[in-house]
Amino acid sequence: MSVLGVAIFMGCYYWFSRLRLGYTISSALLQPVTIAVFVGLITGDMKNAMMIGAALQLVYLGVTSTPGGNVPSDPALAGCIAIPLGVAAGMNPQTAIALAIPFGVLGVFVDQLRRTTNSIWVHMADKYAEKADTKGIMRAAFLYPSIMGFLIRFPIVFIIDYFGVSVAQKLIEVLPEWLSHSFEIMGGILPALGFAITLTVIGKKNLIPFFIVGFFAVMYLGLDTMAVAIFATCAALLLNLFRLKEEEA
Amino acid sequence: MEEKMMNQEITQPTEPKKLKKRDITKSMWIYYAGAELSNSYERLQSLVFCASMTPVLKKLYSTDEELSAALKRHLVFFNTEGILGAIIQGIAISMEEQKANGEDISDDTITGIKTGLMGPVAGMGDAIIWAAIMPIIFSIFLPFASNGSPIGGIMPLILYPLLTILISYFLIHNGYTLGKKSIVSLLHGGRMKNIIFTANIIGLTMMGALSASYVNLSTPLQFSFSGGSEIIIQDVLDMIAPGLLPLAAVFIIYFYLKKRGPRYNRILLTVVIVAIITSLLGIF
Repeated sequence: MSVLGVAIFMGCYYWFSRLRLGYTISSALLQPVTIAVFVGLITGDMKNAMMIGAALQLVYLGVTSTPGGNVPSDPALAGCIAIPLGVAAGMNPQTAIALAIPFGVLGVFVDQLRRTTNSIWVHMADKYAEKADTKGIMRAAFLYPSIMGFLIRFPIVFIIDYFGVSVAQKLIEVLPEWLSHSFEIMGGILPALGFAITLTVIGKKNLIPFFIVGFFAVMYLGLDTMAVAIFATCAALLLNLFRLKEEEA
Repeated sequence: MEEKMMNQEITQPTEPKKLKKRDITKSMWIYYAGAELSNSYERLQSLVFCASMTPVLKKLYSTDEELSAALKRHLVFFNTEGILGAIIQGIAISMEEQKANGEDISDDTITGIKTGLMGPVAGMGDAIIWAAIMPIIFSIFLPFASNGSPIGGIMPLILYPLLTILISYFLIHNGYTLGKKSIVSLLHGGRMKNIIFTANIIGLTMMGALSASYVNLSTPLQFSFSGGSEIIIQDVLDMIAPGLLPLAAVFIIYFYLKKRGPRYNRILLTVVIVAIITSLLGIF
């Protein structure tokens, strides 16, 4: 697909995923690994798209699990910009992460704008409720926020993805060694933020040893994630057995 | 209008109004579809909750006055986690049904139950759906993505919505049949605690495993001595335990978050600055 086509598609994709139509479908759609599948399909470079998507996913893995849905960072805006630009400019995943971070932060303000404008529709719904107009309430809950969302979200991604490719390519060419190495360090540390956030969300200090167990199961024993998931599930179920016994006693 | 409503309550038809399972499922889908769509700072999920009640309320209340009052009742402030929130919907629907059949349930009772449950349900939903199920599903398939395979994105896109929709479906119908009393006992009972406990253990262990695989930090520092011997710092660290630097990175950020609260942007900025400085100095 041409740069224009990609830019239009990504603009629409960002709008649709951030529309949050379908509570968990949309939250799956706005994850970098999922965005990467679609970028891979439209650019034809699935391998690089997925690799950049995976690197970004690690940074945002914990971010989505913050309580109350108060997004501290927007993985969808980061992904919709950094993955197609990264693929087009031939960036390595670490450089793409560095590109993505500022947009992830920008996305927070975009979301604040949306939630503020959404207040208009609640007031509209108040009036419809007065008239017992259920169709009007459905329009206020779905149609109007969707239109507003498109106006807010589509242009940002479209403009950056359309004009950004050549800029990104030039940037890669002039990147000094110390800066590209600092991107590698950044890409190495940033996943830690995601995991730390998840730790705070789970919020049980006395369960932290399980984190350590998982960590060193990989470091010393070299287990893969699926193996850890299986053992962790069994361990959790067995511990539940003991807890139940204690409660019965 | 108050008087009008009173009159209508007295002239209730004798045949009780009974909702079909289909109506309740429809209600679930509307809430699922729009839980975040119309979310506003002012009243958060109130609009979608009201919208989700429309198929039910239309069946239960035949006059415009009654319907209008019911709609307004559900436009009050509401916010919870959208999957486990289905149980509150189920309860609200069963209360509306009883009210429509002439039982003495005041507006305050319905709102009270809703607001009373939304906090605890949100807490559990965040712990189970967002802090456990979501990262676990995404992280299991992450190695595929890292190797460049689309499976890493396709599988979570299918599994996560599917699993959570099934949970919603189960909860809204259970909430409807069990009614408010059983729900309260369910929330405070041991079963819910055990589910959260299990989810937390799996989640934490997975996070540990992922940190080990994906947080990368090592130092090229080494000291040479005049006698020709060298100390390579990374080797020394690895001899104590492998992965100490990545582990330290996670816990330094964790303790900062614990102490200072969710200042994500400040942490991001700090990581960027640290990366540039340590790159220039050759520390990492």
